[in-house]
Amino acid sequence: MTETTPMTEKTPSAAPLLEIRGLSATYGQVRVLKPTNLSLFEGELVTVLGPNGAGKTTLVRAIMRLVKAQGEVRFKGEDVGRLATHDLAKRGIVLVLEGRGLFGSMTVQENINLGAYTATRVELQERRARIFELFPRLKERLHQQSASLSGGEQQMLAIGRALMADPKLLLLDEPSLGLAPRVAAEILRALGQLNKAGLGILLVEQKAPLALKLARRAYVLTLGRVVKELEAGEIGSHHDIAQYYFS
Amino acid sequence: MIDTSIILQAVIDGAGVGLIYGLVGIGYCVIYNATGIVNFAQGVFVMLGGMLTYTLLTSLGLPMIVAVAIAIPLVGVVGVVIEWFIVKPMLVRNSPMFAIILATLAVQIMIERITIMTAGDQPRTFHEFTAGGPLRLGPVAVGYQLIWVLVCSVGLVLLLTLFFKYTRIGNAVRACAQNRDAAALLGIPVARMLAVSFALSAALGAIAGILITPSQYTAFNVGVPFGVSGFIAAIVGGFGSASGAFVGGIVLGVAQAVAIIIFGAGYKTVAALAVLLLVLLLFPSGLLGKRSEK
Ligand SMILES: Nc1ncnc2c1ncn2[C@@H]1O[C@H](COP(=O)(O)OP(=O)(O)OP(=O)(O)O)[C@@H](O)[C@H]1O
Ligand SMILES: [Mg+2]
Repeated sequence: MTETTPMTEKTPSAAPLLEIRGLSATYGQVRVLKPTNLSLFEGELVTVLGPNGAGKTTLVRAIMRLVKAQGEVRFKGEDVGRLATHDLAKRGIVLVLEGRGLFGSMTVQENINLGAYTATRVELQERRARIFELFPRLKERLHQQSASLSGGEQQMLAIGRALMADPKLLLLDEPSLGLAPRVAAEILRALGQLNKAGLGILLVEQKAPLALKLARRAYVLTLGRVVKELEAGEIGSHHDIAQYYFS
Repeated sequence: MIDTSIILQAVIDGAGVGLIYGLVGIGYCVIYNATGIVNFAQGVFVMLGGMLTYTLLTSLGLPMIVAVAIAIPLVGVVGVVIEWFIVKPMLVRNSPMFAIILATLAVQIMIERITIMTAGDQPRTFHEFTAGGPLRLGPVAVGYQLIWVLVCSVGLVLLLTLFFKYTRIGNAVRACAQNRDAAALLGIPVARMLAVSFALSAALGAIAGILITPSQYTAFNVGVPFGVSGFIAAIVGGFGSASGAFVGGIVLGVAQAVAIIIFGAGYKTVAALAVLLLVLLLFPSGLLGKRSEK
């Protein structure tokens, strides 16, 4: 097995939707994320796997400029590394935070509407209809305080709210965290559905088997460094990947 | 024995001043809820509201309504300037909260000194909004200015509630208060929302200062007493709760006025602090505050 494989083959034409070159981040003196390369093409679902503390969260937060980072981030070929977080969101990159990041004392409806902060009233209605189709349960709980939802419902709301911003690229940080296996599978199924409809997704997960069922390609991160890239063809033979990176 | 009508009169007048404390207290809440910061420059907005209106009335000879319409947004701009040049840079640099609070205190003192240098240290006042009065209700007299205070403060609380509940920007400010990262990730310009909260809070302070000046006076140094009373009102009500600050203000104002009647003017501050201590002992999170989870 080689450490890295070129990723030029089998990818749709044009520049990647997201391309990261030498992105790194430090907390104080510690370089938690070593210079990292990663790319994601239009319509792809790519997963980032890795054990606790590997730097997965730091990677997605660095992409969104929620932590100070060095290196290059290109979105649709354009350098977006200098943009502020809210401008990245307006461009169409949205992150669902680890732990969901709901506005807990606000209702489901208020959370949903805030997702469409930059949208017009008409767009808001269209998008609401779309997310209720994906997660009908949200519609039944519109006036409930979001903190009082079940874990699964909270994750649905977090994803639904992110979709309200009409992302072109959706980043998710461990959406299955703390969920029963059945519920986690339900969430990931919805992500698969979104991806089939053409949405680019970068999925950070610890539950490798679940993520690998959906992903076209995978990156394995340990100790702040990409130690493995798996192409579409290889994924099938790597269901034992957990052993690979936990060992 | 003190005549009940005198007590009743004190309650009415105290409630009027209390409404002003309430407005100042709500000013603290608006900023605290959006940023987690206690802005100790809050009283300065009260002073600026009164002083600017006085200046516009006397030096430019503007009519009251025009002077007020200029003074309120002007003080709002001062709030934004404080946020932009002091609070935001400190937040970005992850300054500890006590350092930010100290910085707002420094701003308060600087603005007071600048006011002395430019407008002098003499107390100023201007006429009531409506001439005439007072209204006689049985044994008590209700000044027209008090009615202005009541109508304006209730109206403002109502408007603020609607703003935070039903407008896009109001909801976005609340979202920033709960989770700034999540708000930014949805395209909400967090820095601008913090500036909105400072502008609103400064405008509230200015309105309080304008409303109270005719019945009292304004001067470079009224910021501290109003700031402190507003702060006590906010804590008594439950810090962060706007309706709590409103109720807290009224309780405080009434307690002070009644204490003056019964014990003498020297006991005004004692009464205020007694209310504070009593509430803190009986209701650790304030009258309308949420019980903290931890
Ligand atoms: N704010 C911070 N200050 C200092 N160190 C941090 C901070 N946040 C994360 N770290 C450190 O950075 C490293 C990577 O953390 P990160 O949260 O990115 O890992 P992760 O892969 O997301 O882990 P998990 O699967 O547990 O979520 C860890 O060693 C962590 O302790
Ligand atoms: Mg993480």
